[in-house]
Amino acid sequence: MATVAATGLDEVGVGRPFRAAVLVLVAGFFLIPVLASARYSLLGTHGHITLSAYRSLFADPNFWASLWLSFKIAVGSMLLTASLVVPTSIWVNSRSPRLARAMDAISLLPLGVPSVVVVLGFLGAYHGLLSILLSSPLILVPIYAMLALPYSYRTFDTAVRALQVGPLTDAAHSLGAGWIATTLHVLLPNLRVGLLGSLILSGAYALGEFVVASLLSFNTFPVYIVQIGLTAAAEAVAVSLVALLIAFLPLSVITLAGRGGSKGVV
Amino acid sequence: MIIDLQPSPAAAREEEPPTSPGLWPGARAASWAGAVPFLLFIGLLLVIPAISVVVGAFETDSGGFTLANLRIATEGPYLSSFIASFELSIASTVLAVILGMLAALAIAGTGGRSRALLQSASSVLANTGGVPLAFAFIATLGNFGVVTEVLSSLGFDPYRHGFSLYSVLGLTIVYQYFLVPLMVLIMIGPIRTFKRSWVEAATSLGASRLRFWASVGLPILAPAILSGAVVIFTDAFAAYATAEALTSGTIPLVPIQIGSLVSGNVAAGQGNLGNALGLGMIIVIAAAATIYLASSRRSARWLR
Repeated sequence: MATVAATGLDEVGVGRPFRAAVLVLVAGFFLIPVLASARYSLLGTHGHITLSAYRSLFADPNFWASLWLSFKIAVGSMLLTASLVVPTSIWVNSRSPRLARAMDAISLLPLGVPSVVVVLGFLGAYHGLLSILLSSPLILVPIYAMLALPYSYRTFDTAVRALQVGPLTDAAHSLGAGWIATTLHVLLPNLRVGLLGSLILSGAYALGEFVVASLLSFNTFPVYIVQIGLTAAAEAVAVSLVALLIAFLPLSVITLAGRGGSKGVV
Repeated sequence: MIIDLQPSPAAAREEEPPTSPGLWPGARAASWAGAVPFLLFIGLLLVIPAISVVVGAFETDSGGFTLANLRIATEGPYLSSFIASFELSIASTVLAVILGMLAALAIAGTGGRSRALLQSASSVLANTGGVPLAFAFIATLGNFGVVTEVLSSLGFDPYRHGFSLYSVLGLTIVYQYFLVPLMVLIMIGPIRTFKRSWVEAATSLGASRLRFWASVGLPILAPAILSGAVVIFTDAFAAYATAEALTSGTIPLVPIQIGSLVSGNVAAGQGNLGNALGLGMIIVIAAAATIYLASSRRSARWLR
C-alpha cells in the first residue's frame, strides 16, 4: 500500500473500509446488467433455460448480413484512419512541436459537433451530389473515420510524441536510410502498439455506431439490434450481450497492452 | 470523449528544434504542407457540414434570411426538448461526478496492480454505450427485467412507485454506466497528486477529516472536478443512440428531435428547423468547451 502512504488518503477517511464498500457497490453496478442480460437471454419469457434466442438469432440471415456490412465498414474505416493518421502525425511531429499541438487540437473538433448534427450538415451541404453517394453504405467509411478521429489520432499521436521522432530519424538518416526505410524499419515497428490502439478504436467506433447509419437508412449491426428489439426482446438482449462482450475484448487488449488514449485516458 | 486537453510530454520539449527535415519528401515545402490531406478531410467532412448547419439555421426554405427557425426552435415543443436534454444532462452529471469521485478516491487508494486493472476497466467501460447498453438495461431494470423482478418479489415493484426505465430518471441511471468510469479516469490523476505533507500539515494543525476535505481536499480538486463535470455534461448532452434505442423517441431530447426531422418528419416551411436545433447544440457544446479550457488551465497550474 505504498501509494496510500504516499498520498496520505488513509488519514482522511479514504481507508480500507471505505475502499471496500465503494468498490463492491461499483462492481455490482457494472456486473449486474451483464449478468441480468445473460439470464434474460437464456430465460426469455419461457420460464426455463433455453438457447432458442441465440438459435433464432444465428438462423436469421439479416443478422449475418448486418454484421458483415458493419465488419466491412469497420475495416474500411480502419484503413482510411491509418492512411490519414500515420503520415500526418509523423510529419507534424518531425517538423514542429507547435504544429503537432495544433493538429492535436484540430483532431478534437469532431467532439464539438454531435453526430446527428454532422448528418444534418452533410445532407444540407452535399445535397446535389449526394443522391449517388448516399445510396451506398461506403459513405459511412469516411464519416466514421472522421467521427472517431479524436480517439484514433490522439492515440497514435501520443505514441509518436513518446518516441522522439527527431533523434531517431537523425540516426537513421546518418546511417543512410531514406524516408521510406526510416518509416518502415525504424518508426513503425516502434509505433506498433500506438497504431494498433488507434485502429481498434476506429474499428470499434464503426462497429458500434448507430446514429448516422440509422438516419441514412443503412442496416448496420446496431441498426439491426434496434429493429429486432421492436419484436423480439430476448433476441435483442442476447445480441446486445454478444456485442458488449465483443467490444470489451479488443478495448481490453489495447488498454492493457498500451494504455492507449481511448476515452479519457490521460 | 477525450478529456486530456492539456499538452502532453511534447509540450515540455517545446524548445527542442525540429530535426532532419531534409530527410522527408517535400522537405522544402512549408512545414504545414504535410498536414494538408488531414485538414482537407476534416474540412470536407466536418467543417463544411457544420457551416451548412449554421448558415441554414438563418435561412428560409427558399434561401432568404430569417430568424424564424431560431424562434420556433426556442419555443413550444422544441423549448421543452432543450429543457429535457438539460434535465437529463445535469442530473447525469451531478450523479456521475459524485459517484465517480467516490470511486476514484477508492481506486486511487488501492495498491499498484489492482489500481492499473481498475483503471483499465474504467477505460473500457467509458467507451461502452450505444445500443447494446440500452438492451442490457432493459434486461435489468425494464418492466420484466431481472432486478425489477427481484425487487417485486421482495415486495417493492419499482414500476408501482413511479419508476420507469424509459424516462429521464431511467436514462440518467443507464448513462452512469459510461459516465462514472469517465469521471474516474478524469479524477484519478489529480487525486494521485495529493501529497502526504498536505494531509499531515492539516491533521497536525488539528483538522478533522471533514475539515480536511472542506478546506484543503475539495478546493484543490475543484478545478479538476469542474472540468470533469463539463466533459460529462457534454457527453450526456450529445448522446443519442442509447436514448433512441431505449425510448424509441418518446423522450423528446434535442438530438432525437433533430433525428426525426432528418428522417423526414418536417412540416412545410420548417425545412431549416433542424439546422436551428443543431446550431443550438453546437452553441451549448462550445460554451461547455470554453468552460473546460478555462478550468483545466487552472487545474494544471494547481496540480503541478
